[in-house]
Amino acid sequence: MPRPESVSKDPEKGFVALLGWSLSAVEALDRFDRRYVVVAPDWAEEYCSEHEIPYVPWNFERLNDRSLEIAETLQEMGVDVAIPLFEETVEWAGAINSVLLENPRLFGQAMLLRDKALMKRRAQLGGIRVGIFEEAHDRDDVIRFLKRVNQTLLKLDGDPNDPIHLKAFDKAGCLGHRVIRTPDEVDTIPDEEFPVLMESHLDGWEFAVEAWVHNGKIKFLNISEYVTLGYSVFVPATPELERYRPQITAQIEKLIKTFDIEFGFVHPEYFVTSDGEMYFGEVAYRPPGFKVFELLERAYGFNAYQALVLAFDPRTTEEEIDAFFPTEVEDASGVAGCFGVYPRRRVVSELQIPEETEDDDYYESHDLSAPLEETVTKRTAFGTHWGLLYFFGDDPYRMRDLLKKQEELDFYV
Amino acid sequence: MKPTVDVAGGASVLDKRLASLDDATRDLARTADFGKPTKLRRVLEQLRRVLLQPGGAAAVQARAQELEEAGLFLGTDWATPEILVPSLVGPGLHSGEADTVVMEATSELRTLAVAQGDYEHPTLSPEDARQFLSQVLAMNLELLFTPPSEAERTRQGRTAQLIRDLFRHVAEEVGYDVVLDKLVDEIWRILRQRPIQVDQVTSLITRLSIWRGDPDVDLSSGQGLDRLITALFGTTEACREDPGFDVFRSRLEAMDAGGLQYEASGFARAMHDTGLVSPYHAELLQFLRHEGDYLLAEALGLSDTGKNCLLRYSDLVHRLIEVAVTPQTAQAIYGLALLLDRGILHEPPIVPSLWRQIALELSPAARERLVAAFGEEPAPEARLLAGVLSMLGLPLGVGQGDNPTCQSARALSMWAYNDPDYLLQMVVWAARDDEIIMHFEGQRISSQESAGGVAQTLPVDLDPVSLLVVPHLDRIYAEMGRRCADRPGDPHRWVNPEFHGWWAARGFHINVDVATGNLVDLDDFLRQFHASYHPAYNGGQPLIHPQPAGVAVTDSAARYVGWHAITVLRVAADPQEVMRVYFYNPNNDSGQDWGDGLVVSTAGNGERFGEASLPFDQFASRLYIFHVDPLEHGEKEKVPAGDIERIIGYIERSWGSDRLPGGELQASDGPAPA
Repeated sequence: MPRPESVSKDPEKGFVALLGWSLSAVEALDRFDRRYVVVAPDWAEEYCSEHEIPYVPWNFERLNDRSLEIAETLQEMGVDVAIPLFEETVEWAGAINSVLLENPRLFGQAMLLRDKALMKRRAQLGGIRVGIFEEAHDRDDVIRFLKRVNQTLLKLDGDPNDPIHLKAFDKAGCLGHRVIRTPDEVDTIPDEEFPVLMESHLDGWEFAVEAWVHNGKIKFLNISEYVTLGYSVFVPATPELERYRPQITAQIEKLIKTFDIEFGFVHPEYFVTSDGEMYFGEVAYRPPGFKVFELLERAYGFNAYQALVLAFDPRTTEEEIDAFFPTEVEDASGVAGCFGVYPRRRVVSELQIPEETEDDDYYESHDLSAPLEETVTKRTAFGTHWGLLYFFGDDPYRMRDLLKKQEELDFYV
Repeated sequence: MKPTVDVAGGASVLDKRLASLDDATRDLARTADFGKPTKLRRVLEQLRRVLLQPGGAAAVQARAQELEEAGLFLGTDWATPEILVPSLVGPGLHSGEADTVVMEATSELRTLAVAQGDYEHPTLSPEDARQFLSQVLAMNLELLFTPPSEAERTRQGRTAQLIRDLFRHVAEEVGYDVVLDKLVDEIWRILRQRPIQVDQVTSLITRLSIWRGDPDVDLSSGQGLDRLITALFGTTEACREDPGFDVFRSRLEAMDAGGLQYEASGFARAMHDTGLVSPYHAELLQFLRHEGDYLLAEALGLSDTGKNCLLRYSDLVHRLIEVAVTPQTAQAIYGLALLLDRGILHEPPIVPSLWRQIALELSPAARERLVAAFGEEPAPEARLLAGVLSMLGLPLGVGQGDNPTCQSARALSMWAYNDPDYLLQMVVWAARDDEIIMHFEGQRISSQESAGGVAQTLPVDLDPVSLLVVPHLDRIYAEMGRRCADRPGDPHRWVNPEFHGWWAARGFHINVDVATGNLVDLDDFLRQFHASYHPAYNGGQPLIHPQPAGVAVTDSAARYVGWHAITVLRVAADPQEVMRVYFYNPNNDSGQDWGDGLVVSTAGNGERFGEASLPFDQFASRLYIFHVDPLEHGEKEKVPAGDIERIIGYIERSWGSDRLPGGELQASDGPAPA
């Protein structure tokens, strides 16, 4: 059987280190012309040696005295740049790249991108609109903030409160994200979640952006439309959202200038309010969750991990990266979306894709697994979905409605 | 956007799904082996969606080569189609796991593409592919003719229809005629082993006879099918057109002695030819009870021994026929005929035991189980008596069904063969008392007091005797094992003789170290086996009692599958003067391919009905436990080293490949493990 050859590596091009283990990323780099090495905890070692994947063991705990060690190891190997794959490795990439690229500011920049409170302040300083936010160290702080926000909104006693959002400082996406409406709910927050970042609720349309940056310029900008936060996303977005593309592009340019980002990849989230005003939510310096990279590949045909390498590699030329990316929206062969499944019942025994879903033209596949336990743990925070359904079709509006409809269906019965 | 999916909006559902499948396949193909698992889900899901569409099977067949080359089968058994086993296809297709069904179905379509010459496969020839598919079709023929059962529907949902569409496509491509020949051969092969349970076979023959009635069907193939059909329907002149029992009976009443004899011998010939019994045969026997023993003997096709038993114990035989033989239990006639031919009625305890059986009142639990499995007609007492006749007539026809209870099935078979009055006692205890008590080294073991057995659920797919007795035996067997838990070594050493009977010899040999699973004392083990069982080394002594033994079952690629209980029945030269071990295997089909050239034979090498056999050395190479009388020594030093080496070669190439620790092997002058 013809085994796909690993693409021969071009020694003239960059040598990158992937921080963290992602099979999708490694698989993509295996068929790309850049040399690479995986930096991951030692549980990945056996797999890497079995499959001849270049590998350096490293346990990413908190930065410590030994942090320089890994930077030097990579430098000796001839690595040009480190690429973070997960939230937890962003500060490591900053530390390592400050050595590899001889630019100490990269480390400070990474710390900014790792702490949601610092990040918001920096954005505010840069003239980017953000909601009201504050850090909380205990439950009293949360109650005070909830009251103050609702006073500001000129609510009277007895009016339903506007909710506030609680997020961990340094976790990715929806992990640890809670919505609080009443002081009673504050009691449900466990001690170990503090300190947290509190934000006022913005009644807008939330969306995310994936932008590849090279020499301080945006090379490809994707707008990911959320149907319901934490449930579903699709690319490219509906024309309704895409009409904001010029304003969004301007916002991202402001963002990379404010955060002094010269190269790499940013994944910010914004709200656009009914009057067209953009509010900054947060920004991550790593690939998004929810398989958006896979969706992009399905819609546009380019591999987003390879794009990531191009954007990080200091030896990438302007011509090469321009040739790599298609034209946004115009070049998409369709709309790709996915839906995160949470069991809706308290007791489930089997996985059953509803015929309604399965028979839909747009439905492509799923990665749901059969339930291991019959009792579904109650969701406190946004939690983790049990797997994703994938869809692909032509019409972004139909995609949006289809994804919305999935919320009413049972996949675990 | 540049849409590729809704091309001009005119594409069919199948086309759209195929476009998505092709995209997924390309994605899989360009991914390195280690990354393929991340791309597989989408391919499998699209395959399933394509296969659910009309024309989907043909479309997948056309893409078989691309799919295989993309790495769909990588790292699975399907990657080596040349060693796939046709009998495993059915379980794969009936799996509740949708991905397994899709892989299996796609593999069939790949094989079909190879068979049709559309896909030149590196390891599978078109002839082998065709052969494989014929066997698969023959074994799963019910998928061609029957709608999904309720159980299938619940477990598989619409996938149950998917596999039917698949089979129709495969059969249309391969041709029903090829299937038919293979199918008929397969039925004959099974029947030559004379199983007690023939429900599956008779329902298949019934379906085939209906299918044959279709005027479009080419009747040139299916050699031997007519015999099978006529064994069940239209066996003789008086029931040629399946006229119903009333008409048949009135015809019998109008016959003279010559006519009746003609009917009697016609049924008897069909029964002894095929092992199948027509329901009309039951009606005939009931009629002949009033016509004299000569015609009865003729209708049973008895030998001189059988006739002698019938005449000597005429009252008993008449009573057995009267109670046990009904159209639903017609198979018992064959059991009765063989029981009489065995001459076991001349053993003193048997006749009174059978009288007790005829009068036996069943416990409510036993009645309930029999009714649940076989229905209300005839009454559970008659059903059980019919089962007793079958088991005593066909001791080697006992099958374990789809249950992990080979030990209990083996015990029942052994008793029916060797100690029939003990079996009859067991049946009484189980059926009347709902409890069996056995003793283990003087300690009492009750089946009611013992915790769970080997089987997790009560079996239902068994003959009436097994249905009642196996659950008790299974619990007792497991309890005996528990009582040996703290002893070093293998518990069968103590359990086998205590469980089966005094004749299971107390000397015990095992070639596997229980703690490590490694092979030990191989040379001595094999020499001892020769000295005890091989006539050339044991003083020409034929085996006296059936002996329990354990074999390491291997699959057709000679890979270890599991430990299995069998009975060694005899060791003798076959018609070609090859020394063979003849044994009983409680599996429902003993004709198994154990790999590396070992194909267990069930007919044509001197086997009696129900026996399986292998040449002595090949059998020895799969043996891991046997019993011997420690006082009989034999001449183990006379066994040539070359014979032992050859056997060790078989072991090394199969289940022993990873059980041979370096340097510990005693017969280390043999070839090094590959």
